[in-house]
Amino acid sequence: MQIKFENLSHIYGKNTPFSSKAIYDINLELSGHFFAALIGHTGSGKSTLIQHINGLLVPSEGSVSFDQYKIYTLKDKSYYIDTSLTKLKLFHKRKQFDIKKLRKKAGLVFQFPEYQLFESSVLKDVCYGPLNFKVDEKEAENKAKIALDLVGLDSSYYQRSPFELSGGEKRRVAIAGILAMDPDVLILDEPTAGLDPEGEKSMMELFNKIYQSGKNIVLVTHNMEIVFKYVQKVILMDDGKIVSIDTPLNIFRNKELMSKTSIRPPEVFNLSMALIENGLDLNIENIKDIPSLADEIKRVKNNV
Amino acid sequence: MIENNVVLKVENLNFSYRINNDDLAIKDVSFSIKKGEYVALVGHNGSGKSTIAKILMGLLVADENSKITIFDMELNDENLYKIRKDLGIIFQNPDNQFIGSTVQEDIAFGLENNCVPNSKMQDIIDDYAKKVGMEKYLDKSPSLLSGGQKQRVSIAGVLARNPKIFIMDEATSMLDPKGKQEILNLIYSLKRANPELTVISITHDIQEAYQANHVIVLDDGKKVLDGSPKEVFKNRDLLLKYRLDIPFYLELDTQLALRGIDVKGASCLEELVDRLCK
Amino acid sequence: MSNMLFGRYIPISSCIHKIDPRIKLIAYIVFFVALFLNYGSNFQNYIMFAIFFILLMIVVFIGKVSIWSIFKSIKAIWLMMILLLIVNMFFTQQGNIWFTIAGFDFYDEAFYRTFYIVFRLILMIMLTSILTATTQPMELTFAMEWVLTPLGFCNTMRVLIHVFAMTISLALRFIPSLADDASRIMQAQASRGVDFKNGKLKDRIKGLISLVIPLFVSCLSRSSDLADAMDARGYDPLAKRTRYNKRKWSISNSISCVVLVLFLAGMIVLSVYQLDFVDMILEVING
Repeated sequence: MQIKFENLSHIYGKNTPFSSKAIYDINLELSGHFFAALIGHTGSGKSTLIQHINGLLVPSEGSVSFDQYKIYTLKDKSYYIDTSLTKLKLFHKRKQFDIKKLRKKAGLVFQFPEYQLFESSVLKDVCYGPLNFKVDEKEAENKAKIALDLVGLDSSYYQRSPFELSGGEKRRVAIAGILAMDPDVLILDEPTAGLDPEGEKSMMELFNKIYQSGKNIVLVTHNMEIVFKYVQKVILMDDGKIVSIDTPLNIFRNKELMSKTSIRPPEVFNLSMALIENGLDLNIENIKDIPSLADEIKRVKNNV
Repeated sequence: MIENNVVLKVENLNFSYRINNDDLAIKDVSFSIKKGEYVALVGHNGSGKSTIAKILMGLLVADENSKITIFDMELNDENLYKIRKDLGIIFQNPDNQFIGSTVQEDIAFGLENNCVPNSKMQDIIDDYAKKVGMEKYLDKSPSLLSGGQKQRVSIAGVLARNPKIFIMDEATSMLDPKGKQEILNLIYSLKRANPELTVISITHDIQEAYQANHVIVLDDGKKVLDGSPKEVFKNRDLLLKYRLDIPFYLELDTQLALRGIDVKGASCLEELVDRLCK
Repeated sequence: MSNMLFGRYIPISSCIHKIDPRIKLIAYIVFFVALFLNYGSNFQNYIMFAIFFILLMIVVFIGKVSIWSIFKSIKAIWLMMILLLIVNMFFTQQGNIWFTIAGFDFYDEAFYRTFYIVFRLILMIMLTSILTATTQPMELTFAMEWVLTPLGFCNTMRVLIHVFAMTISLALRFIPSLADDASRIMQAQASRGVDFKNGKLKDRIKGLISLVIPLFVSCLSRSSDLADAMDARGYDPLAKRTRYNKRKWSISNSISCVVLVLFLAGMIVLSVYQLDFVDMILEVING
């Protein structure tokens, strides 16, 4: 699968006195099997960017495409094109696709997703997504059960009301609601906000599991420890622009970039770099968290 | 009697969200807090931290045999408003606790309740807005402010009432790292300016707890650890059992010790570099 | 939000924006009463409306109120106007017969009456739009509470007025927050494949439920948080509390009040005696 942004800009409230440019000149390509993170301080345009992937927002300029589905704007008019249907540039009308097809492929989980629960039971709520995509009831229930199993909620939860669950459980139900749609990519907007450290850890383990199971993940986060530990590709945004696309290591190494975007690399990274600078021959590629750092230190110390 | 400067004393606190329910949210919790302390109240989500804060504020009523003494006064219906004058609390959600429609009106809200005459209000508002660095936003509405800015305004609104005990109920958990750090720095500097102020911080930030004077650990409504950070964080296995984080350098120290490397309790980057690279 | 009746506050500066909200509210009430007075014959009423219209248009221009937003508000009630016209057509049987259709007589008085009401409505909308576009909602609440103060002769009434003002100001404070919630939930449900615009009625109703219930839940959690925050800052609606306001009552306010009261008195005199002022003016001109 492939997600591609070409010269995309988004202006909120276009043609009104309150208009403001949120993101501009976005060029980005994500393909293959990926676990990417989108970072940048609040207001840098991360949320605006991800809402283009499933067509919730339409580009003000430029285009966004997801596999064969392409949304672009020309002369203030938006087009939804299925590029697999015909090669001809004309006949826009005939090639229009149903936005739902895109919504199904790109599963977007908003911040505090527990607020989107509304059904009387957990199972029904998770079924709601698939049912909207015209899956029959039995199939939907099946998909819901698989998704609930994946997020770690067993059959004792099926008939419970989502409103009586704890915060972390609610969030798992909401994420299962998106997973049940069987999307190609899971886009998560700060999925660990408001959780305690333990909840955060198990939530990240869950996403890692989902990634290992073959899905792609785009993660919006402020937590650099998470970025350092789990992610392969980082998209760094600042003031509505993408300033860098690279591995976490290369991003954190770039001191100028870090201070410009006021991002603080994780303590594990800072310490490892300080140790390396002071002559300890650590292989930073192997370091992800405290235990792996301790392992590296032991390896180096034993070699001496 | 106030012994040893104790400002707040909780004895045998029990609480359940439903009447006549054996499923207690708070089970027999006792602790006392001294004047000027920075207390960190930690525990995983659902351990009862916020419930205790609400009980202290008189927003929830404890079970009958519990006894809470704040400044030599027992917390009950009669003393509630009197005691509340000495307490201030900041909650988690920045937007929901912004009461006024502008920054200055939000700071004024508590003053109005304290019957501060209108003629004196503007000076107090200007003063506290300045203390939290929001003096340029006085007539801005909350929808134009960031989460961190809203929290700062709430802090000003609470502190303008001159509380002696200031409670933060996960006040930074919904903010981004920058906002978090700003709020913490603000609290530290306010605390330095007024050492008499007692701060009770309910937090998941283990580094913050590590820097406090006094740490209380809760697990499933029970108090399980209580003491100085040094004493509390000694119990690594217990803390892990209570689903808590371990401060970074403490954890690294343990992990290295497990691998036979002794760094003699290095507690910051410089110390560790010093001990490993020499 | 954008298609709300009467339009919302436009944060620009003009001398109308700067007037004390209390004076604006008094002026609003005075004009409102003046609009409902009867000045005699149809012709005289129309003349009065024309005068009011010119006065309001001047205020609209000084206050930089968008005429387009007023027009939109008027457009919102066009259906009501047509209904009024039809009802009046059938029930008014005074004046001269204009025309007859299928044995039913239509009178010219019906048109006069309908347009009389329509003009009055348009002027009311203009008046309200001016007030809401140039006064911050909170200032308006403050002015309302101030205007109602004389009613607080006993403690119960005082508490009632205070609670009323507090409720309105909190509601106004949380409108943007709830609008945010609504749009976020809508987008979250759209991401789950809900189509709020197209589809079968059953699906659309379900979609609406998926919006309303979460909105309700978030509303409840917000209000309980808010209640805690207010309690914690020592709020007690029954207790005495002071009021923060930067507005001082100035001499020019008093003068404005006197002028407004005189204006109202003049209008009442005109309407009570129903003086044929058009004739009087014509007589003066003709000597």
